[in-house]
Amino acid sequence: MNQVVVDIADLAVSNDADANLVTFSLGSCIGVTIWDPQAHVGGLLHFMLPEASLSPEKAKASPAMFCDTGVPLLFKSAYQLGAAKERLVVRVAGGAQLLDEKGIFNIGKRNYLALRKIFWKNNVLIASEDVGGNVSRTLKLNVSSGEVMLKTREGEVAL
Amino acid sequence: MTAATVDRIVQKISALPRLPMTSMRLMQLLSNPDSSVRDVVEVIRFDPVVTAELLKICNSASIGLMRKIESVTDAARLLGTNRIFQLVMAAHTRTMLGSSQDGYGIPAGALWKHSVAVALAVERLARSLAREQVGQAFTAGLLHDIGKIILNTSVGADYAKIAELVKQGGVSFCEAEKSILGFTHAEIGARVGERWELPEAIVRAIRYHHEPEFCEPHDAIVDLTHIADIVCLQIGVGGGDDAMYYRIDGAAMERQGLKLSTLETVGAEVIVELKSIEKAFH
Repeated sequence: MNQVVVDIADLAVSNDADANLVTFSLGSCIGVTIWDPQAHVGGLLHFMLPEASLSPEKAKASPAMFCDTGVPLLFKSAYQLGAAKERLVVRVAGGAQLLDEKGIFNIGKRNYLALRKIFWKNNVLIASEDVGGNVSRTLKLNVSSGEVMLKTREGEVAL
Repeated sequence: MTAATVDRIVQKISALPRLPMTSMRLMQLLSNPDSSVRDVVEVIRFDPVVTAELLKICNSASIGLMRKIESVTDAARLLGTNRIFQLVMAAHTRTMLGSSQDGYGIPAGALWKHSVAVALAVERLARSLAREQVGQAFTAGLLHDIGKIILNTSVGADYAKIAELVKQGGVSFCEAEKSILGFTHAEIGARVGERWELPEAIVRAIRYHHEPEFCEPHDAIVDLTHIADIVCLQIGVGGGDDAMYYRIDGAAMERQGLKLSTLETVGAEVIVELKSIEKAFH
């Protein structure tokens, strides 16, 4: 298998049947996988912050850092490989948080809300998700089968 | 915690190689406001290994200098002594912090990456708040988790007990370490710092980085190391299975007058800078 590692604030799309797209150590960041079962095109985004308005300059240099610039780029990049929006299977993981009783630093929750908002506006449905909690997650998409595996300390399960 | 385990931990601390002399000398120079660029250059120039490594890093594409650097003097002039110090320190800790820490579920390379990210974040926070001792802030960040490499085996052996305690809720990973092992990776890290004769401010930051409220009087470098660590753990930079089980001390943020948006900006900047440093080392 050809493993493509997607770093924080990065994304990858592929139509290589031998490729696995993987991203490690999702904390408050969110991993989004998309997959077209007909075109056999897959994509994975690992974004870290909700809105590009925090730093338009950074969003320009690395759009995958933010939800509102990364998600459109992920979808557009997959379309370029022949994927179609209506066929895409979307799965989501991450948005965890540290022990924070007072909710001072709730980026995970804000990331997830930003994602829901952009999906709602664009009529995108989430097929499955595993978000929140105090858990670090690894996410892997098999481009050929569309299978998405979610790994935590507890083990590995299909998402 | 048995006496044999305590002995083993003490032995491990003694066996840990010290930081190279060049790092120690640079640390002293940078905490002394009277030292000059020339002093820094003189320390590095006579260490051929560091000089070679430094020139290699400076000439890597990711550092983005337009011309080839051929001497330490050139490097210091173009990058500044502070940046040189950071690169030397990052290089010197790479082997020690680079191995996997299976007890914590930290893969190879990840603890070094996390440590460099925290170092960059503390330094940025210290600079943005116009705090003094920016060089110490960087070192505190770089070494804050040094205790994990000592406690790794003990944590691995008792991971089930620690995890159970953590999962019951309300207990942080650090508190669980204390409860099951008798001490935390922060306390053990501070012991390492003392043995290495690091400046007191750095030892303090290592000791209290998860519990800044216990540091009396409160201390800016301690608070900022805590906050920087939280930012990097939260984002998921190089963390292990323990990453999300630490507690955020909101009072430290208030004491330093830091807003959430500042932390997010620092997080974004650090990710960009970290990628360039990682490339330089490859």
